[in-house]
Amino acid sequence: MAGYHSVKDILTICSDEKLPIWKVIMEEDCIERQVVQSESFAGMRAMYTAMKQADKSYDSRLRSASGLAGGDGEKLHIYNMSDKKLCSDFTSLAMEKAVKMGESNACMRRIVAAPTAGSCGVIPAVFIAYEESFNVPEDRIVEAMFITAGIGAVIAENASIAGASGGCQAEIGSASAMAAAGLAYLAGGDNDCIVNAMAMALKNMLGLACDPVCGLVEVPCIKRNSAGAVNAIASAQMALAGIRSAIDPDEVIDTMRRIGNAMPAGLKETSEGGLAQTPSALKIKEKLEEI
Amino acid sequence: MNIFDIIGPVMVGPSSSHTAGAVRIGYISRKLMGEPVSKAQINLYGSFLATGKGHGTRKALVAGLLGMNTDDMRIPDSFEIAKEQGMEVHFGEARLKDAHPNTAQLILTGQSGRQLEVIGQSIGGARINIAQIDGIDTNFSGDYPTLVVHNLDQPGHVAEVTSMLSHKGVNIATMQLYRSNRGGEAVMVLECDQEIPEDGIRWLEKVEGVKKVTYLSIE
Ligand code: SF4
Repeated sequence: MAGYHSVKDILTICSDEKLPIWKVIMEEDCIERQVVQSESFAGMRAMYTAMKQADKSYDSRLRSASGLAGGDGEKLHIYNMSDKKLCSDFTSLAMEKAVKMGESNACMRRIVAAPTAGSCGVIPAVFIAYEESFNVPEDRIVEAMFITAGIGAVIAENASIAGASGGCQAEIGSASAMAAAGLAYLAGGDNDCIVNAMAMALKNMLGLACDPVCGLVEVPCIKRNSAGAVNAIASAQMALAGIRSAIDPDEVIDTMRRIGNAMPAGLKETSEGGLAQTPSALKIKEKLEEI
Repeated sequence: MNIFDIIGPVMVGPSSSHTAGAVRIGYISRKLMGEPVSKAQINLYGSFLATGKGHGTRKALVAGLLGMNTDDMRIPDSFEIAKEQGMEVHFGEARLKDAHPNTAQLILTGQSGRQLEVIGQSIGGARINIAQIDGIDTNFSGDYPTLVVHNLDQPGHVAEVTSMLSHKGVNIATMQLYRSNRGGEAVMVLECDQEIPEDGIRWLEKVEGVKKVTYLSIE
């Protein structure tokens, strides 16, 4: 395990060693996996490259085995190309990419779990859309990916990143918080801004149930990826505007753990509660059983 | 957990437990077999059985048995590839009691006729646990070079194995011993820090009282 166990630990190392967050995370990775910095950086770049490949290879004709998922990313794309869209170019693009990645995952394409397969659309959507919209060098994005990963590691250690143990707040919520931190960095936020973006994003997702219809990573997972991406953008923007979380970032993470523990099993990936038990879902289930 | 367990792995979707974990179970079983699989009876249990179809669990297990890893783009086409390569596959329901919800039982025949039965569990993320080999309980992840020795339950076999390893300069990371009953059949599972050279494995196979040697190389 890394030499940091909380957001506070990361910030303390940053100020003691006068290093940016991403470098602290990278140096810890070097110690943990016994690699040199160039290897660690190349490893993270490879993850980002794989995300970009997955984004590019989206195929709107694909449908998942259940027939429930596919083609929605294309709908968003067409709407985003019209002059009627509600969000900025960047936010619209992030929404679109998040849905596309979720669909690619459901259709058995190659993705990067970040932190999980169900939530694989949030982080690449925000970062790739940012790179395309604001024309930043790829190295900067890789740096942001380290921040994202470090925040994820802290969440995994102190709460959870699995829907089965923490509900969807642990998957889409964690992904959103991780993306918000990275985005705040990309947009020029300082360390305080970065961790507050993370805290606000996670707070907005607390309590989210994991209730996938028929146990498949499709409904509601795919569309929630776009919510996670947009929430990351909103939270980063609030933090960049100088808004701060009233609750300490580590306490927010601990809250997610407590809420996850308090959630009934039916809302933690068992498909025995929530959306999975609605009449609509049960009808889908009946249909699938016939296949 | 390192940061590449958080961002990563690169995998074919849709589910880290039901797809990537299933690929790993097949992949590790193929490695344990040590030769191409010609026949596979795959029995599913719990959530693997109930929701496996929509997650591609069956395709994933077959892909793994064909030697594909979790990021192999051919996973969705594994049934066709198995047919081309002459691998016969049958699916069924595993009759196990109180097993882990994501469990698969693989009853395999290799090209040379070698038999192997593996029970694998997908325990979260893309991580797995090999819970049984040939009917005897085990407990290993497949992340390390792993040696599995079936032998008669008599004195001396543990010493033979460990001295062979020390002779070959292989460090043991973990070691587990199991037996069916006293004086019956016993199993040793050793996870190692280095790969075990081929001649060490061949030597073990000839030791008296050793019934079967299975080696998982991660190279
Ligand atoms: S609903 Fe459950 S399976 Fe779907 S993304 Fe959320 S945590 Fe993952």
